[in-house]
Amino acid sequence: MSTEVRSQTVTTSVVSAPAGPLPDAAPRRPGSVPLSDDSRLAVEIRELVERGEMDEARERFGGLVAAHQRRALRIAFQYLRDAAEADEAVQDAFVKVFSHIGSYREAWPFEVWFTRILINGCLDRRKARVRRDRWIVPADDVALAGHERRVLAPGHQHVSMQADPEARLLARERQARMTAAIDRLEGRQRTVFMLCHYGDCTPREVGAMIGLNESTVRVHLFRAARKLRTLLGGQP
Amino acid sequence: MIVRAPHLQDDVLYDCYYAERRGEPVDPPSAEHLVDCETCARRYADVGAFLTTLSVDAENDVDALFPPERLRQQQQDIAKRLELVGRAARVITFPGRRSVAMAQPIRTSRTRITTRWIAAAAAAGLFVGVAAGTFFNFVPGFDFSSHARRAGIAAGARQVSQSLPSHLSPVKTAVEIVDPDKFMSDLESVLDRPHTSELIAFDALTPHMREVRDFAR
Repeated sequence: MSTEVRSQTVTTSVVSAPAGPLPDAAPRRPGSVPLSDDSRLAVEIRELVERGEMDEARERFGGLVAAHQRRALRIAFQYLRDAAEADEAVQDAFVKVFSHIGSYREAWPFEVWFTRILINGCLDRRKARVRRDRWIVPADDVALAGHERRVLAPGHQHVSMQADPEARLLARERQARMTAAIDRLEGRQRTVFMLCHYGDCTPREVGAMIGLNESTVRVHLFRAARKLRTLLGGQP
Repeated sequence: MIVRAPHLQDDVLYDCYYAERRGEPVDPPSAEHLVDCETCARRYADVGAFLTTLSVDAENDVDALFPPERLRQQQQDIAKRLELVGRAARVITFPGRRSVAMAQPIRTSRTRITTRWIAAAAAAGLFVGVAAGTFFNFVPGFDFSSHARRAGIAAGARQVSQSLPSHLSPVKTAVEIVDPDKFMSDLESVLDRPHTSELIAFDALTPHMREVRDFAR
């Protein structure tokens, strides 16, 4: 993982609603869209919590966890490239969402609010890892050098599950190249690409998360994809 | 004359891809152009293949790392953590102390109080003893051992002289005749005196400690 943590755009407010303080601009509200199922569920959970019916709220929250778990893991893993850390980051995000469900406002899709909390957690973990890596060198990674070590080590665990050594090697190389390429993206481009490509968010939703307008998000997405294509050996 | 439309820009191709992927309608003029223009259709297919590969790889990574059982485990972990949300923080007792739940009314027995008093008295006595010893050791000129020894010798001499018959009383005992201080002083002077003849004159001119001490007495 790159030692640079450049995706700072959503780090300011961990659990606030998307209208929280952001460095560039206050995010604009997406237009009047009908409330999605998970947003409706989140509102119900908030009301249950406010009435003190915690057991019922927890039970209903399980539905939200099941609905967003895989997508959250995909985003967290792309950010962190480490299964255990991604697992923890997702758990933390869900717990944080439940703890602060009172601050959720239905004007925003639940997905946007949750994803923002998740990404903030991932960015915090990346920063913590950078600080940690300055002092600690994993013993099993000493043989691997520099950037390649940082890229290969986290993915090593599941790549090694494959039986065929050649397939294992190829998969590891592919992961390393992919991770290195994503790490070379500029911070905002990387965030936009992660959210649009791995998080299945629309440019409008991403704009709401990081405080950019939709067309700017499209430009970042395009530049990120084009740069990745160049870095990974494809055409620009 | 047929004017051929310019090729689509790259950003339009990417927009088309993401719109199609999300199931949204593609921009109609762009969609029409992709149908008509073979070059743009090929470019679009390349872009789509590249981005789809990225997605598939990511999906495979996550599927390999998080199989259904691990997802279930994670859901359980989250549920456990949510159980603690909203509850008051629990104060953990210091290891070795009795927990609050196990705490019973404290009954201090009489034996225990006595033991404590004895221990306190012993400690106080020890402290006083050490303090007194330290004090007497630091008083200048006070030599407890030499005083005791002299007092013992004098008492012994008096006892001996009283027990003797009257005609023998003028005879002094060896203890009274020989003053130990004087004897030791003489002995020291003999030993300290220089044996070299050239230094005897200088020694005679130099004041000695014993002379100063005798003068002081």
